[in-house]
Amino acid sequence: MTGLFVELKKGRHKKLWLVPLIFLIVLFLWSAYTHQNADAEDLAAGYTNMFYQVPLMNTMLMPVLLSVLASRLCDMEIKGQTLKLLYTLQQKGSFYDLKFVHECFYLLLFTIGECLLFPLSGKLYHFTEPLSLPLLLRHGVVLFLAGTVILILQHILSLLCQNQIAPLFIGLAGAFLGLFSMFFPPALTRVLPWSYFGAFLPYGMEYDPATRIMSFYELPFPIGLFIGYAVFGIVFYLVCRSIFLKKEV
Amino acid sequence: MTLLCIRAEAAKLRRSVIWLACLLLPVIPAIMGVFNYQSNLGILTNGWYSLWTQVTLFYSNFFYAPLIALYAAYLWRMEHMDHNWNVLMTVPVRVRDIFFGKLAVILFVTLLTQMIIFSFYLIGGKFCQLPGLPPAEIFFWLLRGSLAGTAIGSLQLLLSMCIRSFALPIGFALLGSVMGLVISGFSAGETSLGLCWPYSLMLMGMNANRDTDTLAGNSLPFVGFVVLFFLLFTWIAVHRLKTRDVQA
Repeated sequence: MTGLFVELKKGRHKKLWLVPLIFLIVLFLWSAYTHQNADAEDLAAGYTNMFYQVPLMNTMLMPVLLSVLASRLCDMEIKGQTLKLLYTLQQKGSFYDLKFVHECFYLLLFTIGECLLFPLSGKLYHFTEPLSLPLLLRHGVVLFLAGTVILILQHILSLLCQNQIAPLFIGLAGAFLGLFSMFFPPALTRVLPWSYFGAFLPYGMEYDPATRIMSFYELPFPIGLFIGYAVFGIVFYLVCRSIFLKKEV
Repeated sequence: MTLLCIRAEAAKLRRSVIWLACLLLPVIPAIMGVFNYQSNLGILTNGWYSLWTQVTLFYSNFFYAPLIALYAAYLWRMEHMDHNWNVLMTVPVRVRDIFFGKLAVILFVTLLTQMIIFSFYLIGGKFCQLPGLPPAEIFFWLLRGSLAGTAIGSLQLLLSMCIRSFALPIGFALLGSVMGLVISGFSAGETSLGLCWPYSLMLMGMNANRDTDTLAGNSLPFVGFVVLFFLLFTWIAVHRLKTRDVQA
């Protein structure tokens, strides 16, 4: 517990919460933009539309948000060359875990904020569709899981790289690949961890170019994929942790 | 003196990973653009123009500005480390030359990135068996995008100079681009409001995801706003360097 307080104290006056907050504001503005000319039909499918569109925005924004978050928290140790001193006071493994928990805390704040965006948008734009709480919960859990796996990657990269250009580059490239993965066959997208922000969509979309009508259909929750991805996340964390522990300071 | 500063900044980038980023990141939209074009030949029937929309769709909308931000953050990072600000501010050169040196290098790398994406676009076109060469108009759009890149270059240099974090300005660039897409959707009369937002200028200049020119008749205001933003951000940066004490 002391280690966690130390981690939190390192982030004091750094306004670390500002980054997720600004991303949330932009997400809200985007949502406002898409609903500005909504007619009665759009309002009747307001939440459905959001459950479909917000994960797509996450695919683009989250890899960069998480790389920024991890880089800010890890770079303070790299810039300050504090690791040698830290390891005389703290277990290397405990440092690695607590730093990660600290990053996850901001991911959790972002997840909660994003889930609150749904009822907020619904109130502001007077959606006539009722908000499904199980779907909202599912959205939050999926976002947190997909974010955590990407955070594991960004965390190890930010700690291993002296120069933060590499983790940020990977974050940008990941956002790119995640976006483009939507055009790939589903089997191919499964190998890209950045594609998972959009892999658990509750709705699919069909667009008829002739009538220019967009229609949504429900998709079952891929429970096997979800468990598989969670297990992959745990294994990936352990592998990354062991790589970090073996690295000479 | 400015030339000396440019040389010094260029020396800092020798064997740097920035060149790898400059080469690798444009590869992704190029490959995906070609893949997407090939898969949708039934809808995308406008040859080189259609391929352009696919290659630049996400690149100029969302990733061009963060890429410039990455270059700018890299250039300032070394000054933010190891008390280098003290060294930088005591070298016998004018502060504006220090900034112009960095700006010139950023503009060079930005132009190189644009040339790389254009080369991939050309190779992709030939791979898709498109006839001849792309229309000159597309080369003009590319140049326009590069011109907008100069304003973003000076803005990102300013941000990375003021913000000691390496990552934050890159995040801001991505958010600026998302906002750019939103703002360019609004207009006052015939003129798009995107002209007033530096990050929108880039996607408008590149004519991303359009096969007809979005800036037709608005080229002069576009150039005017690019120059205005470029001068404004450069002036703020130089003024700040002259008047504010450093935090080493």
